[in-house]
Amino acid sequence: MDAQIVFIKDTNGKIDLTKDFCAAFLNLLRENALEDKVQAVRIADMGIYDQGLVMKFPRENIIYANVQEKDFKEIIDKTIKSGQIIEELLFKPEPKQLRIVLRNCGEIDPESIDEYIAVDGYLALAKAVNEYKPEQVIEELKKSGLRGRGGAGFPTWLKWKLTRETPEAQKYVICNADEGDPGAYMDRGVLEGDPHSVVEGLILSGYTIGASKGYFYVRAEYPLAVERVEKALKQAYDYGFLGKNIFGSSFNFDIDIRLGAGAFVCGEETALIASIEGRRGTPRPRPPYPSVKGLWNKPTAINNVETLANIPPIILKGGAWYATIGTEKSKGTKVFALTGKVKNSGLVEVPMGITLREIVFDIGGGMLSEKPIKAIQTGGPSGGVIPKEYLDTPVDYENLQKLGSIMGSGGMIVMDEDDCMVDIAKFYLGFCVDESCGKCVPCRLGGYQMLSILNKITESQGKVEDIDKLKRIALAMQKASLCALGQTAANPVVSTLKYFEEEYRDHIINKKCRSHKCKHLLNYNVIQDKCKRCRVCVVHCPVNAINGDKDKGYFVDPKICVRCGKCFEVCKFNAIAKE
Amino acid sequence: MAKLTKNDLEKIKAKRQDDGRDWIKVGMSTCGIAAGADKVYETFVEEVKKMKLDILVKKCGCQGMCYSEPLVEVRVKGMPEVIYGKVDKEGVMKILDKHVCAKTLVKDAIYELRTKR
Repeated sequence: MDAQIVFIKDTNGKIDLTKDFCAAFLNLLRENALEDKVQAVRIADMGIYDQGLVMKFPRENIIYANVQEKDFKEIIDKTIKSGQIIEELLFKPEPKQLRIVLRNCGEIDPESIDEYIAVDGYLALAKAVNEYKPEQVIEELKKSGLRGRGGAGFPTWLKWKLTRETPEAQKYVICNADEGDPGAYMDRGVLEGDPHSVVEGLILSGYTIGASKGYFYVRAEYPLAVERVEKALKQAYDYGFLGKNIFGSSFNFDIDIRLGAGAFVCGEETALIASIEGRRGTPRPRPPYPSVKGLWNKPTAINNVETLANIPPIILKGGAWYATIGTEKSKGTKVFALTGKVKNSGLVEVPMGITLREIVFDIGGGMLSEKPIKAIQTGGPSGGVIPKEYLDTPVDYENLQKLGSIMGSGGMIVMDEDDCMVDIAKFYLGFCVDESCGKCVPCRLGGYQMLSILNKITESQGKVEDIDKLKRIALAMQKASLCALGQTAANPVVSTLKYFEEEYRDHIINKKCRSHKCKHLLNYNVIQDKCKRCRVCVVHCPVNAINGDKDKGYFVDPKICVRCGKCFEVCKFNAIAKE
Repeated sequence: MAKLTKNDLEKIKAKRQDDGRDWIKVGMSTCGIAAGADKVYETFVEEVKKMKLDILVKKCGCQGMCYSEPLVEVRVKGMPEVIYGKVDKEGVMKILDKHVCAKTLVKDAIYELRTKR
């Protein structure tokens, strides 16, 4: 059957939802006796948002946007009947995403090495081992401008060069797959969707540095990722990409897997090394850096999953190609785990320099509800919030740092007016306090003290001087903590204070939480005008806090009420006010 | 197994080159499996066998559109390549009956259109 296909998307916000455009179009097709020749398919999504009614014609490969019902006739007469293009309606979307790290995710079977080879897998390794000296690999990386994707953004070529130049017979390379930020799962996506690209990256780093042994440090919470990496390693051994004399050269390399037991601090490189050595996962002061004294006191290069997945395409296509993507100081692409109050949550890979607005509204499809955007949290518990005023900032390492956040590993959480910034700060700080290893005082005590102040504030016990106290402790933690966990643990508090101090003051002085999140600052009341005296709230209240009778009306006793919100949920007439 | 050389890579690649066969690809990363992709995959395998269809059922990783998992990409000769989202058992049957057999696309279930390849 060779029916012409027309895709119609009629679920954009701008459209009058009371009208059935699809049916109208179908009717018009029928009137023109085209219903057998044209197949109109309504689709749920096609990555174009806020452009009204969108139609796509795969035969001509064109897209019409903001189509009105009155345009239908012209479309049928011109485009469908004779293939003419109506210029006024034409819409040319620019692809916002660029997939380098995720190039094979969702394309190939992650458990088949042959499929990876079919998309030029292990070709970079063959090329490097046979044609490049290790110095040339470093040179390519230098040209590419690739920086570590784990968060800090240290130039990868420099890390490899320093490790390579440390005189020592035995060296190690490690893949850091201990991804622990709440709301971030980029590395899991890569390991589960394309494990071989990371394995190849790790072998390449071993070749460049002169290491004969590599470790995959994967967190045990990712059983599927572990399983697929194990399979990938076995297949790579079978094909001789691991083991002795790889690709007929004198290069020997082995990889072992080590499982992390769930400690967030083990994502920090010195703690990770301690964990692999079988000791307790606590960081140690640097320097000496792992590039000088790492695993078992030997020079070690530790790279993040995403960094390693970038290596094979750089070797294949050249560093100069990679350097054409991104901004002046941040090259290439970055994978973000877009989550929170956004329509299309998922993994997105974008070139550096794209704005936050483009990520949230053009790729993410906009906000989940009608509520306006308030802020975006990036970098997980080490990052901060970026208020909506800065949505047009191009994303790169320096810009995010200037705003008081960090690139981090790539978590991106969208928040709307319902999210209380004090509560958010409390959540992230609570996470870091839980995960603090307790070795150094600023992190162990500072975090705890800050958290208790935040708890006080959200429980209506806060004082105005608490804000200064928070700032002082935060500074002490940033300056004096041993590792990045402690140094950055205060960031969520600092950045929310920077942009939303007003909200803190509201909590402390007016005892109000404008987002209705902090339940100690909430009061539930019955709106007498709306109340139908049905008693549903009275029946459901777990502590019998709602009293009254049919004549006088019902009232919530704030002294008994535990702010569970049950009455608000069960009321059919929206007669419970939350304030 | 013997050590591979660069030429062997080319050979494997050539053997694996697209043979033009129709296929169905199910996203089987944690996000997909959490949404029920393993059941969808099993149902596809079972039904394809039962209906004696000449179509491959394959697995792949996360497509990135985690909000509409389980995702199923379908390629049938002469049809545009599309990705169906939020597929359940009923969706599997619809895809097989309509898209694969009757060669008409399933309405309201397409979440992404493939442009290149």
